[in-house]
Amino acid sequence: MRFNLKMKSLIWIAMAAALILASSAAWSQGDSAQDKSIPTSKVERLNRAPVSKETLQVKLPRPVEVTLSNGMNVMILEDHRFPLISVQFDINGAGPLYEPASQPGLAGATARLLEEGTKTRTSKQIAEQIDSLGASLSSSAGFGSGSATLSASGLSDTFEQWFALTTDVLLHPNFPADELAQYKARTKPALLQQRSQPNFLANQAFNRALYGEYPAAVVSATPESLDSLTPAMLADWHEKHYAPQNTILAISGDVHASTLIPQLRKWLGEWQRSKASVTFPPGPPPASKGKVFLIDRPGSVQTTLLMGNLAIERSDPDYPALIVLNEVLGAGSASRLFLNLREEKGYTYGVYSNLIARKYAGPWTAGGDLRTEVTDGAMTEFLRELNRIRDEKVPEDELEAARHSVIARFALSLESPQQLIAYAITRRTYKFPPDYWDKYPAQIAAIKAEDIERVAKKYINPATMQVVAVGDASKIKTVMEKYGPVEMLDASGKTANISGLEVEPSAAAAH
Amino acid sequence: MRHFNIRCAFGLLLALSMATAPIGASQTAAKPAEVASARNIQIPIQQVTLKNGLRVVLSEDHAAPTVSLCITFDVGSRNELPGHTGFAHLFEHMMFQGSQNVGKGEHLILVRVNGGDVNGTTNQDSTNYYERVPANQLDMALFLESDRMRALRITPANLDNQRNTVKEERRLRMDNQAYGKTGEIIGDLAYDNFAYKHSTMGSMADLDAASLDDVAKFFKMYYAPNNAVLTLVGDFKTAEAIDKIKKYFEDIPAQPPPPTVDMTEPAQTQERKTTVEDSFARLPRLDIVYKTVPANSPDWYALDMLGDILFGGTSSRLYQKLVKEKGLALQVAGGIDMRRGPALFQAFALLKPGQDPAQIEQLISEELERVKNDGVTTAELEKVRIQDRLQQAESMESTVSRARTLGRYAVYFHDPTLINTMLAKYSDVTPDDIRRVARQYLGETQRTIVLTVPKAEAAQQARPTKGPEDPR
Repeated sequence: MRFNLKMKSLIWIAMAAALILASSAAWSQGDSAQDKSIPTSKVERLNRAPVSKETLQVKLPRPVEVTLSNGMNVMILEDHRFPLISVQFDINGAGPLYEPASQPGLAGATARLLEEGTKTRTSKQIAEQIDSLGASLSSSAGFGSGSATLSASGLSDTFEQWFALTTDVLLHPNFPADELAQYKARTKPALLQQRSQPNFLANQAFNRALYGEYPAAVVSATPESLDSLTPAMLADWHEKHYAPQNTILAISGDVHASTLIPQLRKWLGEWQRSKASVTFPPGPPPASKGKVFLIDRPGSVQTTLLMGNLAIERSDPDYPALIVLNEVLGAGSASRLFLNLREEKGYTYGVYSNLIARKYAGPWTAGGDLRTEVTDGAMTEFLRELNRIRDEKVPEDELEAARHSVIARFALSLESPQQLIAYAITRRTYKFPPDYWDKYPAQIAAIKAEDIERVAKKYINPATMQVVAVGDASKIKTVMEKYGPVEMLDASGKTANISGLEVEPSAAAAH
Repeated sequence: MRHFNIRCAFGLLLALSMATAPIGASQTAAKPAEVASARNIQIPIQQVTLKNGLRVVLSEDHAAPTVSLCITFDVGSRNELPGHTGFAHLFEHMMFQGSQNVGKGEHLILVRVNGGDVNGTTNQDSTNYYERVPANQLDMALFLESDRMRALRITPANLDNQRNTVKEERRLRMDNQAYGKTGEIIGDLAYDNFAYKHSTMGSMADLDAASLDDVAKFFKMYYAPNNAVLTLVGDFKTAEAIDKIKKYFEDIPAQPPPPTVDMTEPAQTQERKTTVEDSFARLPRLDIVYKTVPANSPDWYALDMLGDILFGGTSSRLYQKLVKEKGLALQVAGGIDMRRGPALFQAFALLKPGQDPAQIEQLISEELERVKNDGVTTAELEKVRIQDRLQQAESMESTVSRARTLGRYAVYFHDPTLINTMLAKYSDVTPDDIRRVARQYLGETQRTIVLTVPKAEAAQQARPTKGPEDPR
């Protein structure tokens, strides 16, 4: 079954992500280039379905929380419905955000190599044992994150054994030279493959445009930085950045907190508190000038658009208002962007907007994949919707639907123990009060049209928006120039030499 | 436990609905000692059939105040005729375009606004529609599903609009992606029977040719209550739910049963092989597939376990061999898919640049020979069984996943209780079975090989924007 995941990740992840991330900005209203051959068909509400007016009242279970003597925060959420247990170590300070600029990929390599050998187990033994125990293990340190994570899940009847294996991997990795060499040999071609994905290319350019030299701009390792890694560098990163006092351990599932906590003290007692503290680097201010970037992908039959402005940190008081704004604008299939560009215009399989808020300011974004021929029409509609939400007050019924949607979806998400534990981790990470999530629905319910108007004007700024288009430049460069001076980028995100572009025959469409 | 349907199933909205988690369930007494203490996961199942032939399957679960409703229709791309490819999937989109009492798009809006999730998927063998909503919105969900089963609104504007959306979906998933067309080519080359030979997504030309009349006929024939299964999982009382389902669905008239589909596939006597050039791929990809047996047959379970031994997890034989030991591939994957007709056993490898596909092909063949000659070990079988238990338990966690699986098993195998009995079927498989099925189905003349290679660098290099770093 895990092979399925691999297969999926190869084939599908890129697109799923593209759908969710894509976004486009509007700073100038381009000419309408609507494709006249497509009849539009309007969404309509008949309001005949029986809908219950009451909002589901949900009680949020709270995990048991303790701090071990080494400073590690432990959260345990019991759920005995299934004989399963999930654990996650969230190691703050060990993520790529703290990497030296010359070493993109160091944090990720260290995390990935945890599974490839310990002082008493080889890579193959780890794989064999974890699979044979009815469990699975994964470790990563994603770009943009300040944390490394080590996750394991498995059957509850073999928990003690697979948890012991997990802590061995966390505490005693030995970073074998041959495993590091293999890791490099696998990762370098994967970097190449990444650059064939329009979604990756769009994100790379967009993050660079937003963040410049700030570490959050980095979205992948480079072959050079990978080449320079040594086992000693990984061991050093592990030694200095993996510290119990900066770690949250979240456990959910078929466990009993009262018996587990003394066991954890024993199992994790050898992990000593260190001097490592995590200092968060301040992020850059929002861009003062709007820009358009174009990445040529010859033969592309779609244009991938991604646009947005830098907005807020997760702890910003404007967060709930922006969440509701995003619901109105483009969070889902009942949002304006989807209804306009997909349901009415038939330009796309899906367009969405998104709000990313972390410890540093993240952007709101909008975008999607649209067939090449309607790139102009799509830009026009994105701009129309962005200007509309800035300039016109959201009608009360639409606002009420958006608030209700956010609250009800939050309630439904509590069905999943993993989601509950994720909420608890967020609360702890941002030092929110213990009742933060209990009060979240009320915070959303309090958002008014004036709040949306205020945050829309504050954060959605077409004049300073960054816009990225990935597609066949021979067909869309002129279109994108209508929206500002176009800077051409190559697949590595650097400024490209564009001479000769126009003489290329336009790539044949696939059909 | 797997499903390679990923390439062939297409959803209304997002890829995340794509992979239908396999569910098996329940332990039997025949388990070896080491797992004998494991808790059985059994879900309650109640079945009724309405007067109009609609089959109803219910499973109560009061752990969370949610309900998941799924309607699975016994129609997929296997029912399509030449010249009408992509029709089952296009029709799935039409089901969200409004019905007598529900406006265009209103279904999506109502579910979303009430906090739920909604989607539809189409594959070769079935089409399903499902939503998860708060328990107090059960009536709304039943109303929405019954209204479109009773009286779908089919207009030229909606058809044109969804034709465009589906064509965008094809571009997004297939025409604009690295390896996007490989799956379609594999099916076309491996199968002889049109039912599985053509892709679920269909051709642009056939999509363009679909007429309003085609849509209306398709609806009448396949979207009848007697050609569907309704599954409901979650927080409700069974007797009350049955009354509600009768109220919303029982007056929808039954229709004559659709024609049966001939799924027989002539025996393959010669290896088939082709090479595909891909403009977006940067690395070669090798696919080797074998047509085998329908899912839920004894040999299918044995092939499924063999797939896990070869490809399941990082301790599997071919991951260790090709990725770790020899360092030839970046990824390997494989196994058997779940089909009503002859399922595909697949092996897949993403090659490192400069590696010889023939060498990988050779190593995979050698590993299969080893299975045919020496069999597999009991320890390997035990590892697969415990992993199956883990996956089964994980797949039970969501009510949507349970509702979809019950619907699939009811339509594919006429047996929703397979959700509780499937794990036991894996217990019956012996090392001898595995050796036998490897010999019987995985011969060299029975295979189809598709190699996908990056399109000649020449075309790329003509452009100033080159690929980034050369891997060497």
